[in-house]
Amino acid sequence: MRDAVQDEIIAQFDGLEWLDKYGLLISYAKELEPMDERFRNEENSISGCQSKVWIRTYKEDSRLIIDLDSDAMITRGIISLLLKVVNNRPPQEVLDLDLYFIDEIGLKSNLSPARADGLASIIRRIREVAEREVN
Amino acid sequence: MTDFKKDFPILDKEIYGKQLFYLDNAATSQKPNLVLDTISDFYRSDNSNIHRGVHYLSEISSEKYEKARQKVCDFIGAGNPDEVTFTAGTTDSINQVARSLEPVLKGNEVMITGVEHHSNIVPWQLAGAKLRAIPMDFDCNLLMDSMEITAKTKLISISHVSNVLGSVNKIKEITGIAKDHDIPVLVDAAQSIQHLPLDMKDIGCDFLAFSGHKMYAATGVGVLYTSERFSDIMPAKGGGGMVDRVTLEETTYLDPPLKYEAGTPHIAGAISIGAAIDYMQNIGMGRIRKHEHEVYSYARDRLLETDGVTVYGNTEEMCGSISFNLDGIHHYDTGLILDKMGIAVRTGHHCAQPLMRSLGTEGTVRASFALYNTKEDADMLIEGIEKVRMMYA
Repeated sequence: MRDAVQDEIIAQFDGLEWLDKYGLLISYAKELEPMDERFRNEENSISGCQSKVWIRTYKEDSRLIIDLDSDAMITRGIISLLLKVVNNRPPQEVLDLDLYFIDEIGLKSNLSPARADGLASIIRRIREVAEREVN
Repeated sequence: MTDFKKDFPILDKEIYGKQLFYLDNAATSQKPNLVLDTISDFYRSDNSNIHRGVHYLSEISSEKYEKARQKVCDFIGAGNPDEVTFTAGTTDSINQVARSLEPVLKGNEVMITGVEHHSNIVPWQLAGAKLRAIPMDFDCNLLMDSMEITAKTKLISISHVSNVLGSVNKIKEITGIAKDHDIPVLVDAAQSIQHLPLDMKDIGCDFLAFSGHKMYAATGVGVLYTSERFSDIMPAKGGGGMVDRVTLEETTYLDPPLKYEAGTPHIAGAISIGAAIDYMQNIGMGRIRKHEHEVYSYARDRLLETDGVTVYGNTEEMCGSISFNLDGIHHYDTGLILDKMGIAVRTGHHCAQPLMRSLGTEGTVRASFALYNTKEDADMLIEGIEKVRMMYA
């Protein structure tokens, strides 16, 4: 099923050269609200990434709120896009989401387990949290 | 200057519509036509198992395999080819020594340096040894006078050249000290075999480990040199091809080097090392060193001249790798943008986490050079860095 938020992201990246795509990711990174320093700790970190990634989740009015941050800009950019798609939705909706925008904007290689930004680990973690909330 | 790039077909490649500038040679080097043709010819016309067959092809393969061993022997100035064992690579070579020496090392100490790759740390820990590092100064020069050899020090195991910094450790000085204490020395030559002429008689180490793939040969193959005085250590691996007589009660082994080559070895890989040596010797190690030194120094100077760049390590002699960071920009972010400009570098901790801790960083950007790199590649790197900085400004 197509998703309006993802389609809008895809339209923005469409036809851009690689460096411009990264330029766009950097501007998204700058938009992302930084996570409070005290939450950027070992407990909230996602391992397996070359850049550091921290995650916090909680529920608000039956919606799953996700807070993500990273010490690397490109990772922040990717995170920022990801949050536009998955954040603030009911957990079941998060589980049902097909994250096709990653492939379509050309970031599919970032999903491979060896990839240093650990996008695959981040998505896995979000799904785990959503699953726990659903059950 | 001769253009060596024309000998390496992959270097013609375009990525993301841009010319490839390959500066990740410390991870693996590209292969010249001579090596590629040798591997292909072997499988096309000679392929057979070695040392076992009575038939024609087996004899040809065995002959080529042993010829490769002789080439390695001559290339590193070993006393005789029996001191040369083919392994799966540097990591395998070091692990084999650790396994063979385990009875001696267990509960004792191995002296390393603070710049070691994990492959010269973990095998010793697995063998039950404690590690002690030769202290170094801020520039990563080893402080030999502060080296603390104790009664428990049973081995000194050091990299010749740091895979992160390109710093060259003074291994002759170390083997000299080791000799006074009668302690064996292992030299990890993974990052020097392709850059510097090596002579076992001159260096005087007992073990030398290196990989084929970083010296223009195949992946999955390497060398362990073991000096004759250690020719009676127990093999780390058992299996076919290394035994004299096997009963259910007891087994006797062949003499080195076959004793240390259990199972079918990487025959094509070993032969490719021979071809890579031919390739390098056709150019001449002296000429390679001179050219690489010019390009390396040029690249390093240009990086040092660039504002907002921190370059790590500064020793008298350097080669291969240069590690740096752009102030305020994550190494991963730098690497990704360089990649999209066609410049291949590596980022991260480079399998040297203790060194990263000493340098006070999570990771670095590493540009590493091979004989085919030119000053133009260094210029591209600097251009790339300017672009990175603009993009994150």
